[in-house]
Amino acid sequence: MKESLLSELGEALVTGSLTDRELLARTDIQPGLQILPDANVIKIGGQSFIDRGRAAVYPLIEEIKQNLPQHKMIIGTGAGTRARHAYSVGVELGMPTGVLSVLGTFVSMQNARMLHYLLADQGIPFIEPIQFAQLPLYLAERQAVIFFGMPPYTFWQRNPTIGRLPPNRTDTGTWLISETFGTRSMIYVKDENGLYTADPKKDKHATFIPKITAAELLALDLPDVVVEHSVLEMMQNAQHRRSIQIINGLVPGNLTRALNGEAVGTIITAD
Amino acid sequence: MKNDSRQHHMQSFLARESLLDKRVMADTETPVVRMLPTVHVVKIGGRSILEAGSATVNPLIKALGDALQENKLILGVGCGARSRHVFSVGLDLGLPTGVLAELSAADALGNAHILGTLLASHGVVAIPPAMFGHLLPMFIHSVPGVIFNGVPPYSLWEHPPAIGRIPAHRTDSGCLILAECFGCRSVVLVKDVQGLYTADPFLEDAAEFIPRISTDELRELDLKTLPFDEIMLDILDTARLVHEFQIIDGRQPELLARALAGEHVGSIIYSNKRASAQAPSSL
Repeated sequence: MKESLLSELGEALVTGSLTDRELLARTDIQPGLQILPDANVIKIGGQSFIDRGRAAVYPLIEEIKQNLPQHKMIIGTGAGTRARHAYSVGVELGMPTGVLSVLGTFVSMQNARMLHYLLADQGIPFIEPIQFAQLPLYLAERQAVIFFGMPPYTFWQRNPTIGRLPPNRTDTGTWLISETFGTRSMIYVKDENGLYTADPKKDKHATFIPKITAAELLALDLPDVVVEHSVLEMMQNAQHRRSIQIINGLVPGNLTRALNGEAVGTIITAD
Repeated sequence: MKNDSRQHHMQSFLARESLLDKRVMADTETPVVRMLPTVHVVKIGGRSILEAGSATVNPLIKALGDALQENKLILGVGCGARSRHVFSVGLDLGLPTGVLAELSAADALGNAHILGTLLASHGVVAIPPAMFGHLLPMFIHSVPGVIFNGVPPYSLWEHPPAIGRIPAHRTDSGCLILAECFGCRSVVLVKDVQGLYTADPFLEDAAEFIPRISTDELRELDLKTLPFDEIMLDILDTARLVHEFQIIDGRQPELLARALAGEHVGSIIYSNKRASAQAPSSL
């Protein structure tokens, strides 16, 4: 496919090896396009938030509606309790990671559908991966969309190092949308103020960490972390999404403040 | 609102645990079902084979036709030169990795349809990606082989690579991950080289052939280029069911039947990382 229109890099790509690190290093010479720089990606936790039902969800939905005039929101959902149920049934029966990934996707999709009905009066659509081509239109017209947080890897979900559960779940799927579209922020809405040195639900001595880098957090090697490990690893390679904030969505006003750029939870950065 | 005030419980051993807790994760290590233990996954190179012209392709098609008489095959294809071209245009436009991954799926799908046309008389066709994974066991039960586009469905969700912007999960990886999920019998990559060399044999006469090597040894060598996706080493190291793959030369079509019979006719890359973890749970 050699032709005069190809750049030198283009010719090297067509003829060379994509495992050649010198060639790969030349592939980010052009500035990366931020496709949706005004949009925010918000992930609403499954077990930590949606599974709490009306008491937690209704006030957050109200706060999302109040923010629609000011902020564009791409809202992803976690999976939660039913995914854990499906995973435990599936693990015991010998399901491979790819099948568990399919099961987790279904639960995250249920949660997306439920939030979608709660936001239906605002004309906000639920989109599946195949509909992401319409994402810019929906944001321009309605300011927000709902999607399921699981990355659509299905049978191609890679195995974890330890155990069998899909390593790239809804924290990762939402983060990747924020990275690919170059959005303004990535906010995780959970039921804790952010990151602690241990699980604050189980350990009274757990101390709060307001700001930390991904490398520092990985070095701490905590037995339990508030966000999926893959997010911390991928963030270090990111072109755009080099910080995330984890907030307590049970506290009214936190989402609004986070959307306005305030630090109200734990901020994890790549650098 | 504390943990004990939650209203919507469900009993399961993971119900109250954090899925981010390593100790909990270790408990999920159990024997895995092998869905398609007799089926081979064969990846036909894009640029190296399918786009190399009829003199290369037709003899291999004959060999595939013969192999389909005796074996069940899942055939993946590479995305070839057109993906390299669309990558170069996309990179110049500043498009992110996820968009490049989304674009390249179309090139591999084109190659899948070319292969499907050539194997149509065997009942082997390219299956649309949306239904391929879910219906795969049924297809394999009905026909001797199926073709898919090799590209894992990462698309906009492709991981940002460590270096540059080219998607890391390409068609070699897509074939290996699929084989692992479905517990397939073997993974064979059909390329235009005899196998793995210490350097690119087309560029350096002194390149030495490597018949068999472990993932760790290969990382140690830190070769300038590899004839397969680099992340396959990591995928192999975390695999529970597939512990090696073989690269064979598609310009010698007779090697295909021998590779499918378990012979060592090219280069074998293997992992022993999970050999001990696998031993008690082998089916």
